[in-house]
Amino acid sequence: MNEAERLAAFEARIHRGEKIEPGDWMPEEYRRQLIRMISQHAHSEIVGMLPEGAWITRAPNLRRKLVLLAKVQDEAGHGQYLYHAAETLGATREEMIEALLSGRAKYSSIFNYPSQSWADMGVIGWFVDGAAILNQTMLARCSYGPYSRANIRISAEESFHMKQGKEQVILMSQGTPGQRTMVQDAVNRWWWPTVMMFGPHDHESPNSPVLIRWGIKTKTNDELRQDFVNQVAPEVLELGLSLPDPDLRYEQASGNWLTGPIDWDEFWRVVKGNGPCNAERIAARRKAHADGEWVREALAAYAERQPTT
Amino acid sequence: MTDTQWPRFQVFHQEQPGRPHTNAGAVHAPDAELAIQNARDVFVRRPDCVSLWVVPADQIFSLTAEEISRSGLPPAPAAEGGLQRYLVFIKRTQVGSHEHAGAVSATSGQAALAEAVSTFGKADGLVWWVVPERLVNRTEADQIGSLFGPAKDKPYRDQAFYHTTTLMRQIRGRPKQEA
Repeated sequence: MNEAERLAAFEARIHRGEKIEPGDWMPEEYRRQLIRMISQHAHSEIVGMLPEGAWITRAPNLRRKLVLLAKVQDEAGHGQYLYHAAETLGATREEMIEALLSGRAKYSSIFNYPSQSWADMGVIGWFVDGAAILNQTMLARCSYGPYSRANIRISAEESFHMKQGKEQVILMSQGTPGQRTMVQDAVNRWWWPTVMMFGPHDHESPNSPVLIRWGIKTKTNDELRQDFVNQVAPEVLELGLSLPDPDLRYEQASGNWLTGPIDWDEFWRVVKGNGPCNAERIAARRKAHADGEWVREALAAYAERQPTT
Repeated sequence: MTDTQWPRFQVFHQEQPGRPHTNAGAVHAPDAELAIQNARDVFVRRPDCVSLWVVPADQIFSLTAEEISRSGLPPAPAAEGGLQRYLVFIKRTQVGSHEHAGAVSATSGQAALAEAVSTFGKADGLVWWVVPERLVNRTEADQIGSLFGPAKDKPYRDQAFYHTTTLMRQIRGRPKQEA
């Protein structure tokens, strides 16, 4: 088989809904796109622990503290599932971590915004995890077997993340005037960054066509964004809260909730490293990595003393 | 700064007694003992595990249906050593994972793969993995309580713990208050 025949056979497999597994033939570009996407997804889970981790010690009661701890632990686990999925394609965890710590790697820009009050724990869960679930439910159908399986596992676990956040927003929205003000402020700050999480519009997203052709993604950025707005906007309004978009409206003909224009200048500013917390997030990861060095050394020393199998 | 490209171990978990061990993913660890510990931390945050196996990933011999269709079955090499037992894991469905199917005896990993394909049938296999049984590290019966017990009393890790649908319904049903 020549290269063109191999590619045709590969695309026919994807068309039939077959999963590509390690060992199977795949185009170099398929491998490259997957490593790029999976490593960014993994970094997002790891950096995503930071905005919420900052509030664990300030949880208002033990129940909320246990829930937040469990959620942040899940994110750590999800990062590990994903690093390993990328490793099946030939990337090493060492390279990926190095790219993150050196500031070269990208991760979801949403985590470069600060978490300013306890109400952010509710809104992040409902909005940010809700958005992530839409993306991950799609990726659970990805044509690459190990990435698909990681996302199936993540999606199953993450529905609790969204619901614990939504529960808090609901309760605060029906609470004291102080709680209502606090949760409205959090909604105002997180709405647009979450809407931007799905990435640039389809016509400005250069990777989208090949990702869809090869079954890595099955929906475009704009389709996923529309699903999110349709799911969340009406319920936020039902709670008596408002969204910071004077142009937001329901369009009868399409059944869609339409947003006003998105501030892409802000999006690119944060992606390029100039968001409110980019430097702080990387500094926190570097410190965690350095602080864990003695543990890694101790474990390696212990392993060396064991009889080899 | 030392980093830890420790060896990888594939992790297999058993959800219920009597069910086959199924591949959950992989962990890095300096040795097989810590691989069990890491596998528990990474894959058992919820109460659906009664046993874990870990095997060194670089000792797994793998074959996919796509490889067979491209190059045929690998030629059985000349006997390289004594006969030993290999555990066989097979991925049979597109969305599924590698499940423990049984064991074969062979003199090498390649021979074990060929033996696994002929013993368990080629028709419905998509990926075959074989690994020497002596390299499998398993959780012991006396570890089950300490490793898997803590996940059982954390109902708040389950989405059913949060009654958001009921709360939304109650709010919708409430008469509108004047602001």
